[in-house]
Amino acid sequence: MAPLLSLHGVGKSYLRGSHRLRVLHDVSLEVCRGEVVAVWGRRGAGKTTLLKIAARLEAPDYGSVRFDGTDLATVRESEHARLMLQEIGWVRRSGPRSDLRMIDYVALPCLARHGRRRAGTLAAEALERVGMGACAVQRWESLSDGERSLAAIAHGIVRAPKLLLVDDPTANLDAIERERTTELLRSLAEEQGIAILMTVPDMPAVMRAHHIASLGGGRLSTAPAPASERGNVIALPSREQFA
Amino acid sequence: MSAKIAVLGLVIEEPSPAHRLTAKLRQRLSSAEFVDSNVYAALTRLEREGLVRPHEESTYEATEEGVRHFEQWLLSSSAAPPLRDELHMKIALCQPRNVPRLIELIHGQELVCLGRVQELKRSFERVRAPEAHRWSGLVMVLVRDAELAAWESRLTWLQGVRESLEHMSEEFQSASARREG
Repeated sequence: MAPLLSLHGVGKSYLRGSHRLRVLHDVSLEVCRGEVVAVWGRRGAGKTTLLKIAARLEAPDYGSVRFDGTDLATVRESEHARLMLQEIGWVRRSGPRSDLRMIDYVALPCLARHGRRRAGTLAAEALERVGMGACAVQRWESLSDGERSLAAIAHGIVRAPKLLLVDDPTANLDAIERERTTELLRSLAEEQGIAILMTVPDMPAVMRAHHIASLGGGRLSTAPAPASERGNVIALPSREQFA
Repeated sequence: MSAKIAVLGLVIEEPSPAHRLTAKLRQRLSSAEFVDSNVYAALTRLEREGLVRPHEESTYEATEEGVRHFEQWLLSSSAAPPLRDELHMKIALCQPRNVPRLIELIHGQELVCLGRVQELKRSFERVRAPEAHRWSGLVMVLVRDAELAAWESRLTWLQGVRESLEHMSEEFQSASARREG
């Protein structure tokens, strides 16, 4: 299956005082429809930078990013804005800045395209899908951490994206909430054919992903896959690397 | 930890034949790397000490003494494991000229850790998220998380060491280039 998202040889560094901090070095990965790729890394390892580059919210210093066969560097601003509204969802930990009811917050990405009534219906469906139907009229501040994660996922999937970028969906969750959240992401990928790239700082959160990788010191390392899965996994390490 | 106490705990959970105990032990405590012969040896010792006895159809069950012994172990305090790792020694004893090779060794170890996480992932792939009130499901996740925490902690440490060594190596190379220039 052709990957929906592919990063090839991507590099990014920032100037910190007189020192150049290398965040990503020659990073390659692929995410196909219907699968979850989880990237684990310590805080400050460059996980959010990786997601921003995947969505072209930040430009890499070198390397290329392709989404659905198109090099994102060649896409016009207006087309990029359309992609971000319709095809690429982003799940963030931070909630709405205003005091919106959850149904209005989740409806936001669809308002311009579908109008208020239809966006409201889609938001109700998305909240229902993540098991948050009962919280539609609640405000962000009144939700638990687990409920906030689910509401953020509903906000990400309401536009029926092809690609979902998920930044640390299990922060502050206990073991059971974490398992349910990551299981939900996996079932969304498998049932709706969404490609999900998720970054996490805690290892248990990668357990429901199809493929796992770690990011540290600028390098993305991927777990070796069994023989039956080879050819369907991101940038396998060579035998020499694994020895 | 010896296989003996783990096997006793599994027999108390459910009287089982030896082959099922080996499979359960592999699934529940995979990182301890027990082998099949550990289970058979443990059963022999447990039977000799009167902690288990043969039950019907080649299964073993725990005796009352076995249950008491296990609970005593369960409730006693645990000692901290010794930290004696070959890679620690290599880092402690390496010279600057060894750094490039050491960086690759460390990256290789990172991949080994990821491989172990992958193995754990595979064993739990078909297990559904536990319900809040299901004790066994929660315990299974907590035990798995303990293993994951160990691999995560090692991976964090390895990445930090590699990052520092790579930085030092780059500084060393640019200093050498400046000297030669």
